[in-house]
Amino acid sequence: MELTKTLGRRMLGAACAAAIAAPLAVATPAIAQSYPSADETLDWTIAFGPGGGNDIMARSIIEILNKYDLYDGEISAENRAGGSGAVGWGYLYGQDGNAYGISTTSGSFVTTPLQADTPWQPESFTPVALLATDDLVLVVNGDSEIDTIDEFIANAKANPTNIGGTGSVNVDFIVPTLFAEKAGFEFDYVSFNSMSEQTTALLSNALDAMVGNPGEILGLIESGDLKPLVFSGQTTPAALEGVPTMGSIGFDIGVSMPRGLILAPNAPAEAQEWWINTMKEVVQTPEWGEYISSNTLTPTVLYGEDFRQFLVNTKNGFEVVLREVGAID
Amino acid sequence: MDIFADLMMGLSVAISPINILYLLIGAIVGMIVGVIPGFGPSAGLAILLPVTFGMDPIGAIMMLAAIYYGAMYGGTITSILLNTPGESATVASTFDGFPLAKNGRAGPALVMQAAASFVGGTVGVILITILAPLFSQVSRSFGPPEYFLLAVMGMLTLLVMIGSNWKLGVISALIGFALGTVGVDLETGQGRYTFGSAELIGGIYFIPIAIGLFGLGELFYAFYNGLHKTGTGGIVQYDNEERFWPTAQDWLSTRMTMVRGSVLGFVVGVIPGAGATIASLMAYSTERSLSKNSENFGKGEMAGLVAPETANNAASSGAMIPLLTLGIPGSASTAVLLAAFIMWGLRPGPLFMEQNPEFAWGLIASMYLGNMALLAISIFAIPLFVQIIKVPYRMLAPCIVVVCALGTFSVHASFVETYLMFAAGIVGFFMRLYGFSPAALVLALVLGPLAEEALRQTMTISRGSFSIFVERTPSLWIIGVTLTLIVLLPMLNRFGKPKVDQPAKADG
Amino acid sequence: MRVAFFVVLLAGAIFYSYVAYADLNFLTRTGRPGPGFFPRLIGTAAIIFTLWTLVEELRKAERERTDPRKWKDVVILMALACSYAVLLKLFGGFVATVIFLGATLMLLNRAQPIKNVLVATLVPSGVYLLFDRVLNANMPPALFELPI
Repeated sequence: MELTKTLGRRMLGAACAAAIAAPLAVATPAIAQSYPSADETLDWTIAFGPGGGNDIMARSIIEILNKYDLYDGEISAENRAGGSGAVGWGYLYGQDGNAYGISTTSGSFVTTPLQADTPWQPESFTPVALLATDDLVLVVNGDSEIDTIDEFIANAKANPTNIGGTGSVNVDFIVPTLFAEKAGFEFDYVSFNSMSEQTTALLSNALDAMVGNPGEILGLIESGDLKPLVFSGQTTPAALEGVPTMGSIGFDIGVSMPRGLILAPNAPAEAQEWWINTMKEVVQTPEWGEYISSNTLTPTVLYGEDFRQFLVNTKNGFEVVLREVGAID
Repeated sequence: MDIFADLMMGLSVAISPINILYLLIGAIVGMIVGVIPGFGPSAGLAILLPVTFGMDPIGAIMMLAAIYYGAMYGGTITSILLNTPGESATVASTFDGFPLAKNGRAGPALVMQAAASFVGGTVGVILITILAPLFSQVSRSFGPPEYFLLAVMGMLTLLVMIGSNWKLGVISALIGFALGTVGVDLETGQGRYTFGSAELIGGIYFIPIAIGLFGLGELFYAFYNGLHKTGTGGIVQYDNEERFWPTAQDWLSTRMTMVRGSVLGFVVGVIPGAGATIASLMAYSTERSLSKNSENFGKGEMAGLVAPETANNAASSGAMIPLLTLGIPGSASTAVLLAAFIMWGLRPGPLFMEQNPEFAWGLIASMYLGNMALLAISIFAIPLFVQIIKVPYRMLAPCIVVVCALGTFSVHASFVETYLMFAAGIVGFFMRLYGFSPAALVLALVLGPLAEEALRQTMTISRGSFSIFVERTPSLWIIGVTLTLIVLLPMLNRFGKPKVDQPAKADG
Repeated sequence: MRVAFFVVLLAGAIFYSYVAYADLNFLTRTGRPGPGFFPRLIGTAAIIFTLWTLVEELRKAERERTDPRKWKDVVILMALACSYAVLLKLFGGFVATVIFLGATLMLLNRAQPIKNVLVATLVPSGVYLLFDRVLNANMPPALFELPI
């Protein structure tokens, strides 16, 4: 009884899928010829408020698209902020199959679904490209006796150490946790609300060390108030020359925050392909290089399915660590 | 280092017709943005930031800075006229500002707030000019133990605000503390009272609660008292010509208040994360405990308006110190300014003022000019704003509801926050009706999370030991100041009291 | 009414405490104050204080006497405000504001219908221009577009 019911439902489902797929199959060639159509406005969702990292990235890309005439139609960028990105990406998620809905991702793209009951997951969307990653630098106070990452690890094995970061369900927590696991030391994580509170805490010698985005503390590193020890990305940015990466000392953690581009779920393959080709041009422009260096991002480029795989890996990595410490259940 | 020469160089950079134009545009836009409930300086800055993308950095920063402190001037106007704080830093200004307007002194209250803002802002810039390096030491000596002590010190002000019925005051504060625990727990990342909602991850934001409790709550209360049938929302009609300017008594009685408010506000503003809201609340309660007319506070005492106003403007100047000297933004607004610096390719940090003297000193110089411009704009604009209270209340009231709702929505584009604002309005009405203290609720909502987070950070750092509070010099300083306040203030008050009781009664 | 408000507060305090005791840990695994530490203290204190005031209230011999006419307009305004909140979600900032202002003014200010219509259309237009055009700020988007 139960079996036949499910079977019946499955067959019905298959029939429905076929019925939907048929008109789609006819429609796709039309898109292939004309994507992007000049009559359609590109609806660019920015899932955060103006002035934030996600906003600046989206507007930088749009500026490049306009400057080099890469996109024919009109682009309308809207800040749909709220719920740590849940509102904006939820809006894009609702446009299933639309070729003209697009958005940029940042760290919350992975962490918000882990924390709240969002209907979408990072891999639900049509991936275009990973363009860069936000990586972190581990710093100690400039007055500290610790000068190198080896000394830091040796010290942390011998004495109780704390490391500060912003937030807890966040890359700031995951990066030092994974690093400590690989390097074999233990530490207490102290989480702060903002970069500024954690930086003053370190300057006031309340913290032993902290992790942060290099872009926000370059000034303090340059003046010697903070000492950089190790960088979590694959390659060290120019501004942090001489600082080893976690990989180069043998403790590669393979986690970073994705700054990429996504389309609505199940967007037509032609649209995905068009955007992949276009982004290949965008990342070659000098303006993009400027954006990367002024925000101290790590240029890490992955296209299409590779990007989806990257998102899945990142999410799983986060989930394991967060579950271990009981931050999510 | 010759400060005077630096400042002159800054002035020569700032004073060009186009830059002055940007400054004026920024000041006016800032004022408008500040007047709209919900729109604080940080929201205004973030929204207008894209406009400056193509501009010359010095002109752009002058405009942005003018928006920033212009919003601080404008934010008080609705606090005084409608009991609706324009932004969080002007909540304390409603306590006596609105009663003043009710007593028919809306004109003098608005003029005094503009003057107080000017004094606070200007004293703040003077302190930046001469003492920036010194104060940068203050902002780099604050760790979690100090934040915890600061929050505890701020909570002493709760005692002042708790109102006549202490049990109801305690309940009000407990509601505030309870609301403050909503959101993802900072330390463990566990959701508290979020019930799976993405909008509550970041916790309950202060603005919708404050707008609802004060703005809508007051409006419902006025309806309860039938004021929509009589005319003007409880504000006594007054003659624009005769009673516009403050009396000599207003100036004389508040001159020391301005000095205290400016210094206190500046110092609190220098501490990253503390900010103008805490500064204004602390200035209010300090002034109230020092005043000889303390029983008159909350009923329309000029010092009760001047203290928070000087403090919040001085604090907004103070917040520039960590930004300029360390590259650390002390508030949400300066965080937007920092984003702008980075966008223009500047690298904020301890070497910033040395490497970009024209930019830094141009900014400081423009703050002197901006405060003067805003004082003038405010005085000219006051007669316009005062027209609001001449509109019959039955027509004005629905418009206030609209502005509160749309203003709240615009900040984070959040329906949940808009609903919270309406709910807070209904709760605020009952709180007023039954003698609770909305002020204590709001203060608890600000200080509760600060205290909890700082204490738990401290416990992690010290590995569970309380001795950390007496091992750090800055902590000892704060403990010393707090004890002095607790012990000394009541004594001072006791000396003052018997002499003053008589005239206060005669006055009422 | 007063008693009812205290009962509502008490119910809120009990619910708050229930979550604090059921879902949130008092201490972390390392023995320091956990996520439930302060909620439990706050919730317990809130229950004690609301109970205390509630009992005092009930013991009072005389009951407050309220004039129902005083309540009428407040309740109407609250109801209108709540429906405005719902309208915002359904029809967006502009349309909801026109409806809310129109309805409220018609009730409160029956004597001047023309003035009401003017306010109900000009105020939302002004706010729309200021928020959407000048400041580029968020206005509530409409769930259903009205054909206007």
